[in-house]
Amino acid sequence: MARDARLEQTARYLQKEGYEAMVAANNGQNLFLDSNGVFVFSGVRPIGEGAVLIDAAGRSTLVITPAWDLERAAAASRTDATLGCDDLAEGLARALRNAKVDPAKVVTVALNTLDFSTARRIESVLGGPRPAKDGFASHIARVRNERELAASRKATWIAERGYERLLDIARPGMREFELAADLYCCMKALGAEDNFLLLSASQHNLAVRAAGHRVLDVGDIILGEITPCYQGQFAQICRTTVIGEPQPLVREKYAVLQAGMKRGQAAAVPGTRVRDVANAINDVFREAGYGQYCRPPYMRVRGHGLGITSDRPGDITDDSDAVLEEGMVFVMHPNQYIPETGYLMCGEPVVITRSGAESLSARDAEIDFIAV
Amino acid sequence: MHTVHPSIIIGAYTWDQNRMPPDEFQIRLADLHNAMDEHGWKAMFLYGDAREHSAIAYYTNFVPRVRWAMALMPREGEPRLLASMSSRDMPAMKLMTWIPDVLSGWQWEGAFDPWLARLQGEAPIKVGTVGFDYIQPRLFRSVEKSLGERVRLLEAEGFATADRALRPRELSLVRDACQLVRVAARAMVQAWRGGAGAEAAMLAGERTARGMAAQDVRTLVSLDGGRTLVPFQGNLKVRPESFVGYIAVKVMGFWAELFVTLSAGGGLLHGVQKSMEVLKDAAKPGASAAQLHALAMKTLDSRPLHPVLSGSVGRRIGLSLNEGEELRHHSAHALKAPNVYALHVGTCDAERGALASAMVAVTAKGVELLCSSEDALTA
Repeated sequence: MARDARLEQTARYLQKEGYEAMVAANNGQNLFLDSNGVFVFSGVRPIGEGAVLIDAAGRSTLVITPAWDLERAAAASRTDATLGCDDLAEGLARALRNAKVDPAKVVTVALNTLDFSTARRIESVLGGPRPAKDGFASHIARVRNERELAASRKATWIAERGYERLLDIARPGMREFELAADLYCCMKALGAEDNFLLLSASQHNLAVRAAGHRVLDVGDIILGEITPCYQGQFAQICRTTVIGEPQPLVREKYAVLQAGMKRGQAAAVPGTRVRDVANAINDVFREAGYGQYCRPPYMRVRGHGLGITSDRPGDITDDSDAVLEEGMVFVMHPNQYIPETGYLMCGEPVVITRSGAESLSARDAEIDFIAV
Repeated sequence: MHTVHPSIIIGAYTWDQNRMPPDEFQIRLADLHNAMDEHGWKAMFLYGDAREHSAIAYYTNFVPRVRWAMALMPREGEPRLLASMSSRDMPAMKLMTWIPDVLSGWQWEGAFDPWLARLQGEAPIKVGTVGFDYIQPRLFRSVEKSLGERVRLLEAEGFATADRALRPRELSLVRDACQLVRVAARAMVQAWRGGAGAEAAMLAGERTARGMAAQDVRTLVSLDGGRTLVPFQGNLKVRPESFVGYIAVKVMGFWAELFVTLSAGGGLLHGVQKSMEVLKDAAKPGASAAQLHALAMKTLDSRPLHPVLSGSVGRRIGLSLNEGEELRHHSAHALKAPNVYALHVGTCDAERGALASAMVAVTAKGVELLCSSEDALTA
């Protein structure tokens, strides 16, 4: 029987819709903006391609590649059984036989994340294309449970320690990749199994990017999108740091981003449409005279969901009709290119509460500087 | 080896034209032009994703850090590279490649269709594809929709990773990668000998490699004395009886890797080392892959091959950690020059395990040992 609330909910869905089972797949790429159905249903971050088979009685099997990872996966998985294989289609066929599931009565989730040849072979195992419910895992996990929220808080704590490390060690003469390497390993030592770490510097940034060979210098503005993952929960903080005393203009413009953040947090109460949150943030930039910059390439989005559990509520954009729910976790970041200063970053992971979006960070973004 | 794929590849990927000058790509592009001329293709599409991108990296130097990328390479005219990132990210993406026209692939019709319209010829216009086995079905549907009846895709044969012969400049970069993995592995060993836990020792190796501009670092470590290997778990203080770890580093696009075993009990490590010596001695141009496998197994004295090796005692390595031509029981191929091979031997019992590895360049002049597990143990 199902041991997990989401597995139980899935079983009820299958019974209601008349399916015998669900196959949720993932390609193992761990995209931090996407939901990973294998992780959602099993709690395991697989090394390779994987799938979870859930039947209408709530019984579940994790199918993982490569076969040698079976012991680790079985120990960590919330599923009833775990099966290791080197060929996902073959392993899934075995799991279907073991579960005595009629492949014709299967609904699929995210088969289209697999590569073309694997997806085609799985379709063959299922006897042809089957109904797809690709957003199911993302939907069912859209609100973090207690364990996941605790892990998000820990990931945020790690991110803040990583940023403190940046403030401690960044100095003129250092290369971007050296700084990124130190931060990455520092956060890994605190338990971060992954990190979507973008870190770059310029005297006039156009955007943040992955660290390169550039040598840091006085007057540089370092942009950091620090995104450790702890027990499958990514948390992101966005920070802006000046080497040397920041110009008053930078402080003045940064205050616009901070005001945007506050406006967005206040607007983000349960039941609000995402577009209204994005517009609340954009209004601050419009009021400051930067309305024409509220679009790519001057910014990307005003925040986004955090995989690999659920990417909901999706991108925080002014055309999204997604509705916020209490307990949703995502990053809100009014990051913005300002012509006078270049790109600036300000963002926190937030959880939706009745009084708005509560920042998970202990210290929200300020314009920081490294004394030289 | 299989390792957990990171959410983003964070290493420094800026195109270094001193080590990989534009003329290198002109030489490589001749392969594509020859194929297009031979088959009457007007263009070739090269696809790669963050996990497997050796073909697109070989011809464009571009590495998709997340999601996917596709290079549109015409026989005549200007190429275009589409990357699955936001338009905000394109200036940074352009730093990785000689192709000046790099666009976000998120606005598919706006980026792909106008380029496609430039292809001249009678329908159906033929286009060769490389790497399309890895493409995701939904992207493939977008491609098909754009092509309509006017363009027909044909899989290009002979462009699999194993068909690229190593050139001297590339071998030089592989040597650099081997030097870095050696230094990183030594840092790992030093940390272990200093009393660190197994994962903390691995992290010391990773920190060293990343601090020396490795473009990527992958690790596996054993928390049970070598019986099983696992990705990072965050148990930094766990210190089993033996240290068994795997580290792979990428330098200027090329991978190097090593297994390291320290103080495995019993005769396991001795047997593994003996088997590795036999394998290294036997690795020569023309050596049969199946015979190499048989030799390694024979020297292991009927112990099983370590499960983490998935039945293989070696394979080609280069722009991908696995460039094919695995050395397995039933392999039908032989070692070819000039190529670089990673050799692995390992075994385990119910309580512990041991693994060793080496990298060799098989050239027309002979075999060059590029690095081996013992390198990690020397100061």
